[in-house]
Amino acid sequence: MITALLICLVVLMLILGAPLFVIIIAATLIGFSSAEVDLSIIAIELYRIADTPLLLTLPLFTFAGYILSESKTSERLLQLTQTFFGWMPSGLAVVAVISCAIFTALTGASGITIVALGALLLPALIKAGYNEKFSLGLVTTTGSLGLLLPPSIPLILYGIIVQQMNLGQEFDLEELFLAGLLPAALMIILLSVWVVWNNRHIKIEKIPFSINNAVSAIRDSIWELPLPFFVIGGIFSGIFAISEIAAVTALYVLIIEIFIYREIRFSQLPKITVDAMQMVGGILLILGVSLAFTSFLIDAEVPTILFEWIREHIDSKLTFLILLNIFLLLLGAILDIFSALIIMVPLIVPVALGYGIHPLHLGVIFLANMQIGYFTPPVGMNLFIASYRFQRPITELYKATLPFMFVLLTAVLIITYVPELSTWFIETPEK
Amino acid sequence: MNNSPGSIQRLLVYLGKIEAGLLLGLLLSMILLAVIQIFLRNFHGTGIIWAESLVRILVLWTAVIGAMLGSRKGQHIAIDVISNMVTEKNKRIIQFSVNLFTAVVCSIVAYYSMEFVWMEYQDGGIAFASVPNWLCESIIPIAFFIITIRYILLAFAALKEEVPAL
Repeated sequence: MITALLICLVVLMLILGAPLFVIIIAATLIGFSSAEVDLSIIAIELYRIADTPLLLTLPLFTFAGYILSESKTSERLLQLTQTFFGWMPSGLAVVAVISCAIFTALTGASGITIVALGALLLPALIKAGYNEKFSLGLVTTTGSLGLLLPPSIPLILYGIIVQQMNLGQEFDLEELFLAGLLPAALMIILLSVWVVWNNRHIKIEKIPFSINNAVSAIRDSIWELPLPFFVIGGIFSGIFAISEIAAVTALYVLIIEIFIYREIRFSQLPKITVDAMQMVGGILLILGVSLAFTSFLIDAEVPTILFEWIREHIDSKLTFLILLNIFLLLLGAILDIFSALIIMVPLIVPVALGYGIHPLHLGVIFLANMQIGYFTPPVGMNLFIASYRFQRPITELYKATLPFMFVLLTAVLIITYVPELSTWFIETPEK
Repeated sequence: MNNSPGSIQRLLVYLGKIEAGLLLGLLLSMILLAVIQIFLRNFHGTGIIWAESLVRILVLWTAVIGAMLGSRKGQHIAIDVISNMVTEKNKRIIQFSVNLFTAVVCSIVAYYSMEFVWMEYQDGGIAFASVPNWLCESIIPIAFFIITIRYILLAFAALKEEVPAL
């Protein structure tokens, strides 16, 4: 009776907007105390954060991303992509798609892309002659585009969570990054094609390619240009561990922005650190308490029961995938990507495995859906950030992003039903 | 004796600055330690034995202190669907109860994690070098204690329609 009342209270608090970590703790406390387990287990489980070596990459990459977004990297990236792609039909719009994808991957998909890069792109797009609604939709949508490219934080987080689970079907982060490459490329290509097609009748100013501009753009960003190559090359060459790449990236970014570009002052460091670590801390806290909650769920055999229940009602892999897509889209619309990953992955992965879906493919499906969730009404994060940053009513953004959503939904469907896009490099696909 | 909320808040402002400084220090040592390890490993074939354990503890501390700072303005991830649908007055009542609920839950965690740290202290295990386990773990009860206090302040601030200084 008391337990039931407490559960009702927790659900009420969840709806009213209590912090997610508190809700998870409360649920765990209720669960463990009704199973008569000593509640210090919460602290023991939280301490497991210190047992997961890969977690080191999260604060380091996030810190590097925050430093980059506080300096003028976005301007230089825009200048660079503009000189190389600006001559194409609808060049600037394609520039927007590509530069946002790179920037999001480097800065960790936290909405920073819209603030740092979108704010530069929007006036430039409108000035070049693009329709205002189109431009708004474009910068809002592309704010989460690089989610599947290394070293995106959600991708790393997915890898860490799955590795914690001991599924018997191991993969390492390198493979996960590899799995995301083609799906990410598909999204970028589809969006670019659509952007060009959509503006085929509109007269738009082109920026002719000039060798002088190219040289000066490269010279300006000479210190930052090696970054994506270092990160991606470092990961796939296998010479360095990912945590080592993260550490070197953080140190390198810190040095170039402070001493070479001189765009970050020492006095700004505490504030940047606090902003970045507040985000990391929030995520890791949810991760820590979820470890506790998950071990309670496993004790109570919830994943097994869930799987059997789903198995009884859904018999084909195809139906499961369709329902998974719908579920993830809804989830992405109400929950931010990090909490969604932490809470749902431990439940979904075992079920999906039972339907013969490879964990790498599942990760890509999961993130691809979540990426759309970023701008799905009513609470997609990109919508709020764009509405705040560009001072537009959120309903206007709903309308502006709608066509882009259809394009990306097409991409998600292809990604879901063509697993080879994500698993082509695995030699013996399990069947 | 001056125990007015004003002085508690001023104390928390100072605490926030200490936390920020600590955070920067932890993060920079994390970066440097990891980079030094790479050089030692790749060019000398050696390494500091306890460096990896220390780095992991640093990650825990950074995360937990980050979470402490995040509770200053109640900026933790939450599902936010109700707040746009209710009146200003009801919103304040909701915020009060939600923040109070958060404080109660966090105080329970603070209590039980203190018990855990106490057990570890009596146990006397060593985390790395000669640093004992309990010291590394002690940040957990401290953090939840501070988070509790911050959410109590947030709860009452919500009633008084003012934003707390920190």
